[in-house]
Amino acid sequence: MSTLRESWDRRRIEALHTDLLPGWYATRRRRRLLASAGLVSIALMWVNGALFWAPKGDVGPTIVYFTLLAISLVLYFPAVTLLNVATRGLTELAERHLDERQLGERLRAVALAHRAMTGLIVVLAVTVLALNVANDRHFSMPGSALFQLTIALALTNFVLPLIVSAWRLPDPPPDEEENGPIGEGQRIEGKTAT
Amino acid sequence: MPTEDVYNRIPMLRAERGVSRKDLAAALGVHYQTIGYLERGEYSPSLFLALRIAEYFEVPLEVVFSLKPFPRLGSEVK
Repeated sequence: MSTLRESWDRRRIEALHTDLLPGWYATRRRRRLLASAGLVSIALMWVNGALFWAPKGDVGPTIVYFTLLAISLVLYFPAVTLLNVATRGLTELAERHLDERQLGERLRAVALAHRAMTGLIVVLAVTVLALNVANDRHFSMPGSALFQLTIALALTNFVLPLIVSAWRLPDPPPDEEENGPIGEGQRIEGKTAT
Repeated sequence: MPTEDVYNRIPMLRAERGVSRKDLAAALGVHYQTIGYLERGEYSPSLFLALRIAEYFEVPLEVVFSLKPFPRLGSEVK
């Protein structure tokens, strides 16, 4: 059993350390574009929840829902896959596979995402409360809308640490192979000894 | 309030001993990019990792890390 788990872990680590379309996340700007694509896909899930909430007939046919869902999934899967590779599995791998810098970065990302999630839940609670008051305490939500919004909330909670960590990630140091072998006139940059 | 900058001589020690980032990372059990971030001063190591780096290069801790910039080589020979 443990061999199967180790084998699975090893494959995941290898996959997350294999550069897949590196040009897509090589720079901070591109990583932030990918993170934005992930955010848009999540936002579309929320829009879908709101569409289910709205009275029938006001939002057009069901095709709107499926179109939004399709766009959301088309954005979500590539963006999340590439963000996981860009962050080298920072939020994906088990703690024992991360070093102290990665663990610290993961903690910061999770803390920031937690703060954002708290804000989101407060906004949601205030919205429901305001609607309840506006409707003279006869407010009810369709089950389908509740289901959609719960999925959107769960997905946001799941993927937000990854988006935050990718957003914060500085450009990694260039590989030594790009600068020539060590000890052969390699340029050494940074706040180091001279 | 003093800044929390920590200066290091890891690139110099690596260059002197012909050790690549990946070799050093493997010996220390960290990701090779962590060595790069350390060298660029974008990450300050824990005391444990700092001691392990010093132990790897077989030098005292203060040879590798300092709270003040290291003097330029040859600057004391005047």
